[in-house]
Amino acid sequence: MTGFTRRKILTGAAATAAGAVGSANLTTQTAAQTAADDADRALFVALSAALTGIAKERLSPAVDPVQINRQYFDQAKTDPAFDGLMQIIRADPSNPAAAAEKVLSNSDSNIKYLGRSIILMWYLGVWYAPKKLENFNSSPPKPPYPPPDKVISPAAYTQGWTWRVAQAHPMGYSELLFGYWSKEPPALDAFIK
Amino acid sequence: MCAERMPNPDVLIVGSGIAGVLIARQLGRAGKKVLILEAGEALPADINGYMNTFLAAPAKVPESPYPPALFVGKDLTDPGTVNAGRPTVLSLGAKGKFGDWQDPKQAYLIQKGPLAFGSTYERLNGGTVRHWLGTSLRFVPSDFEMKSRFNRFVDWPIKYRHLKRWYGEAEKDIGVSADVADQNYLGITFSSNYPMPKIPLSVVDMEVEKAMPNLKVAGVGLDGLKWKVSSTPAARNSQPYQARRVCAGNTNCIPICPIQAKYDPSVTLAEALRTGNVDVSYKTVASKVYVDGNGRVSGIDFIRYHKDDGDPVERGRLTAKLYILAGNAIETPRLLLMSKSEQTPHGVANRRDDKGSVGKYLMDHPLYLAWALTPKPVWGYRGPLSTAGIEVCRDGRFRRDRGAFRIEIGNEGWNFPIGDPDTTTVDFVNGLNGSKLNEGSKPLFGDALTTALNDKLSRQFRLGFLVEQSPDDSNTVTLSDQFTDHLGLPRPQITYDLSEYTKRGLAAAKTTATAIFNSMRAEEFTSKPEADDPSTFEWPPGQTTRIKYYGSGHIVGTHRMGERSENSVVDSFQRSHDHYNLYLVGSGSFPTVATANPTLTLAALCLRTADKILREDLR
Repeated sequence: MTGFTRRKILTGAAATAAGAVGSANLTTQTAAQTAADDADRALFVALSAALTGIAKERLSPAVDPVQINRQYFDQAKTDPAFDGLMQIIRADPSNPAAAAEKVLSNSDSNIKYLGRSIILMWYLGVWYAPKKLENFNSSPPKPPYPPPDKVISPAAYTQGWTWRVAQAHPMGYSELLFGYWSKEPPALDAFIK
Repeated sequence: MCAERMPNPDVLIVGSGIAGVLIARQLGRAGKKVLILEAGEALPADINGYMNTFLAAPAKVPESPYPPALFVGKDLTDPGTVNAGRPTVLSLGAKGKFGDWQDPKQAYLIQKGPLAFGSTYERLNGGTVRHWLGTSLRFVPSDFEMKSRFNRFVDWPIKYRHLKRWYGEAEKDIGVSADVADQNYLGITFSSNYPMPKIPLSVVDMEVEKAMPNLKVAGVGLDGLKWKVSSTPAARNSQPYQARRVCAGNTNCIPICPIQAKYDPSVTLAEALRTGNVDVSYKTVASKVYVDGNGRVSGIDFIRYHKDDGDPVERGRLTAKLYILAGNAIETPRLLLMSKSEQTPHGVANRRDDKGSVGKYLMDHPLYLAWALTPKPVWGYRGPLSTAGIEVCRDGRFRRDRGAFRIEIGNEGWNFPIGDPDTTTVDFVNGLNGSKLNEGSKPLFGDALTTALNDKLSRQFRLGFLVEQSPDDSNTVTLSDQFTDHLGLPRPQITYDLSEYTKRGLAAAKTTATAIFNSMRAEEFTSKPEADDPSTFEWPPGQTTRIKYYGSGHIVGTHRMGERSENSVVDSFQRSHDHYNLYLVGSGSFPTVATANPTLTLAALCLRTADKILREDLR
């Protein structure tokens, strides 16, 4: 069964049914689109792991009740440069690290800053529009910086990776027990790898 | 409808913050009928709604979980469009910039300066203690005797010994975790134990503690001091208490504890309601206090509304035997000053001549904030926002010359100073250096990003110095004659400055911060303030160097207690000198601000007041 997820089996079942029943063309198209979306989302997560330095299995764990990667994928898709960014990882899906390099050093600043927006989305659970980041660079604000364009969702704040990189937890979202703060935290890798 | 909730109450209380609800519960338990008028939203079934508002807020400031909404789109809500407005830290911006502190369309308080008043408050069930830190320090005995001991300001009409019992009662009531052995400094004595064991120190606290034996601070009256880090008494559960959970170190006491391990007045409000003798009319704003020909308060006008920005749905007048104003040190004088009549030409409780003190002596703890990187990780962003402080510097002969301070050690990295971890994260991802931690402004990604961020974030910490402000009669709350809220009531107008005495205290704080960082071999990053920041001043005077201060949320003075009405508004039991059946309760009654966070002291004062009312007024 290696390589067969529950979703792939269901997709296959839908395709079989579509072959048998002509009126199910729409279902076939939807299923095909879903499969394409899932594949793109998997690439998006792989690219995100290379961009953020957080393990892919952390960004999209096998057991994932929050499914934050779907919210982030949907948000990134709204950006006009998203297709251009995805073309880079699609061209060589086996090498996300190289793709991340290409995104962030891209001559198209729309793609470059979208890459940065995606990193910040994973780290902070918020959306800084690529143009806003570009403007920050041309005219650096003083801290605390202007608020982001959008908090992706209340859940997104609780999933922010910057807190884990600090070996901590989002302010307001501790899953730890009384007194933990008087001891050293586990090593960084225990949070992000 | 409001009057029908409770016909003929014994007591009418304005405000459901900690002062109002502690008294209401005590009276309710004794069988007295109490009606509370609360300007803001009703007590919700749980805090999940407020928590979700916080999680979704783009600017996570102290006011962010609570109504009325801070933003309309990307703009701050115009305070003239809401019925129960309140200040926000977002409207302390420089002139002409976002949140312009003197723009009445962005700032609820009409600030006349010359400096900005930086503290804010809430107007809803539970009041401002909804967003407090939980610090529950007692005042030291000298704090009540500034005139006698240091020839400064005034003495309180009571001494530490008069409040000692009530401190103990308040510590049990709000549930304070601490150890008496850690708190008996500078003359503080105890006749009771704390109800819960102390909160453990953080790794940050322990790192500061290590530097204490070698710390030397010169030139600010602290020479030879035996420096010491003390765990901070906090109304935060170290054991299950009042059917609430143990602290899980959410690092979010301000603005909201997600598990209510921190006390907030909704706990006491619920207890008051359970007596069956207390009721609350929410979204009901008191608008005028009436006094009869005998000098007794005879009624209070109210305006009720449904929507935060909607029209009134009811107006009326309520009467009771006894009246207690428990707004806060800005809203209470505002109501008193709105209550001018033939009987009270300068407002209620403000004498018939022009020598009253209502609204005068507004104080805060102007807070000096300093931040640094430790040589090795201390792992902030973990635990309660603060678990320890340095208290031994709160008293000494230097109080003849400058404001004292206590030092709060922060557990939240550089969140308070620069909005981290967000700012530093944006810096390293986007190649900026606002944090000063990304020298070279190089954008990073992947493992280089996690390594750099981890290195910086895990070594951040900050110190906050709560500086004693002098009581100055020129620092005032008055009424704006130009700007109103949506109910048409005049908004509070603030005139505020820092005296030389207070500024010297802030300058001493700056010196002390740098000495502590040096003793820790920590690298200081405290930034130089901008000249157009309204919360800064030149120091020394006439120099280009500036010191920035923040509000502590400790709004004090404005109806201070004293022996006589010539220089005070209430007596030691917080009863109005002018009107026998009127009490003005809360930190507005403090004659001096001292250095300790005020909530425990105001709670103790209110329990003492409730006892007096039951023994004498409503026997």
